Amino acid sequence: MTATPDDALELVGLERRFGAVVALDDVSFRVPVGEMVGFVGPNGAGKTTAMRIALGVLQADAGRVRWRGRDVDAETRRRFGYLPEERGLYPKMRVLDQLVYLARLHGLERDDARSQADRMIELLGVADRARARAESLSLGNQQRVQLAAALVHRPEVLVLDEPFSGLDPVGVDVLSEILRRQAEEGAPVVFSSHQLELVERLCESVVMIDRGRIVASGRIADLRARDPRRLVRVEVAGAPERWLDRVPGVRVLEPLSEGAIVELDGASESNVLDAARAAGSVRHFSVVRPSLSEIFRREVAR
Amino acid sequence: MTVRRRMWPIIARREFVERARDRGFQVSTAITLVLLTGVIVISAAFNRPTSFDLAVVGEGSDALGTQVRVAAAALGVEVVVHELADEAEARRAVDAGESDAALVDAAQILVRADPPDQLVGLIQAVSVRERSRRALITAGLTPEEVDAALVQAGLPVHALEPVDARSRETATVVFVGVLLLYGQLFAYGYWVAAGVVEEKSSRVVEVLLATVRPSHLLRGKILGIGLLGLGQLLLIGLVGLFASSAVGTLDFPSGAVATIGLVLGWFILGYFFYASLFAVAGSIVTRQEDLQTTMTPLTILILGSFFIGLTATSNPDSTLATVASLLPFSSPLVMPTRIALGEAATWEVVASVAISVGATAAVIPIATTIYSRALLRPGRVRIRQVLRPDGG
Repeated sequence: MTATPDDALELVGLERRFGAVVALDDVSFRVPVGEMVGFVGPNGAGKTTAMRIALGVLQADAGRVRWRGRDVDAETRRRFGYLPEERGLYPKMRVLDQLVYLARLHGLERDDARSQADRMIELLGVADRARARAESLSLGNQQRVQLAAALVHRPEVLVLDEPFSGLDPVGVDVLSEILRRQAEEGAPVVFSSHQLELVERLCESVVMIDRGRIVASGRIADLRARDPRRLVRVEVAGAPERWLDRVPGVRVLEPLSEGAIVELDGASESNVLDAARAAGSVRHFSVVRPSLSEIFRREVAR
Repeated sequence: MTVRRRMWPIIARREFVERARDRGFQVSTAITLVLLTGVIVISAAFNRPTSFDLAVVGEGSDALGTQVRVAAAALGVEVVVHELADEAEARRAVDAGESDAALVDAAQILVRADPPDQLVGLIQAVSVRERSRRALITAGLTPEEVDAALVQAGLPVHALEPVDARSRETATVVFVGVLLLYGQLFAYGYWVAAGVVEEKSSRVVEVLLATVRPSHLLRGKILGIGLLGLGQLLLIGLVGLFASSAVGTLDFPSGAVATIGLVLGWFILGYFFYASLFAVAGSIVTRQEDLQTTMTPLTILILGSFFIGLTATSNPDSTLATVASLLPFSSPLVMPTRIALGEAATWEVVASVAISVGATAAVIPIATTIYSRALLRPGRVRIRQVLRPDGG
């Protein structure tokens, strides 16, 4: 299938208030098919509200949610996969039964639901707990079952709220691989996360939200290229304490154990290198592009 | 592309299967059935015809004893007469409870502490008649003249409200029925409320709402749990019926079957009404601990209706019972009794069913609205707040 501009999940002009609080203010972005998009923003920025609206769990005051160029309805949403921020399983229901049930609610026939549930617990490494009640599982395994629940019905679209939180490094790798494969198979995947390094590693594009407004969005490479700041990473052994503070025209963005990532604000690269040489023995010196974290901090601080 | 399909049967099925599988449910059902069978068997043992043991000692006692036995048999009371050697033996037998009374020398009645009135009355009557007979013969009348004068038919008894055995049996069955209805309405209503809270507190509701409409979720839950309640009630009814006919306590099985039918029918009427309200009580809280508070008005309503229902089994035509049998919250616990005892006019039954169905039809949409709007709200939700037009 060739991608047309309509081949995407689109949030268009979403507005939502809770009493006097504006949770979403003209929120629009699109997640094209086959792409994984990171949805980032500080706590309370509106990520969960936007995702809930995309899934129809919450109603928007204004705006639309579109999939492949058409407004989504309950029937369409049934083919979406959703991982809510507040995880939830039936505590007393057996893992496999639970997944079969959810697959059925998403429209799968009984046999299909059964084989998909089997496949998912296998894929997520919880097959040995198939007959256990959900409440008896460790939190990490509950999280895996929750992910299985979001994927069990072969969703066309994936909306995941903090899917990586609570996973150990192995779990993160497994999930990354699963999401990558879902995207390759043609599903738009959007997930929220506070682990920006992870987002940077997994996603080509990112959407940044702050206080209900989209503050930046697009390909991460473009955002980095567009960032006007000149950054230098410098590490010096044996330097006196806080030596960088005494270098004029330099602002420390991110302290490191033997140095920092600094923004050049008046100083030149060679000024910093000279100061570093004077301070001690230089271990590392490089001109760097701002990382997603730095772009995030800048956008959110505005 | 998936086909558009009804979701609530899938939801109802889960509610039914998960609860039927629950150990607690299976154990409590088994206990109920064992208790019921036990009560039926024990009451059958106690319901044998009244029987007395009479010890007789000394001259004339034996003859008098025989007459007591004959007179008693005419009244449907069994008297077994034992002849003992002497008074000491008779005292021991009465004291040990082997005999209910002893007749000594046809002149004295010996009992332990509390005289068995029926037996003593019989002995007295027979003894008075016998002594009068002897006195009259001594006075010169022939035995024939005496018998002609003394042996008279008893007075006929005309009951103003004749008790027939059939309605007495029906009253017993319907009493058990009201007990069961109360238990079922409360237990299964509570299950609906607790099920709603479980989904809210475990937050699984958000996963569900991403694919199911709240109204379907509610409908499926109420139907699934209701079917289980109906099935359990039917099972209890059948086991009760089977146990009673096995031990022979039921003289009118067809009446019992009709009463069981009434109980099942009114369970359906009452359940949907109460289950909708219980769902509301569950949807406005997030923790099971808070559920007791929001359920209190419903608990009082059911309990009050239950007491009216109990009084109706003995007094089905009181004003209280008549009014209560028409109100939607109490009719399921009162009307079956009035119908079974033949005290409800046809128009009353029709009106009661119509009011019940109408009230349920009115309550369900309101309950669904509150439920839908309260589902994703944390903490304790105020009903007034969610019912405002912009409360969504």
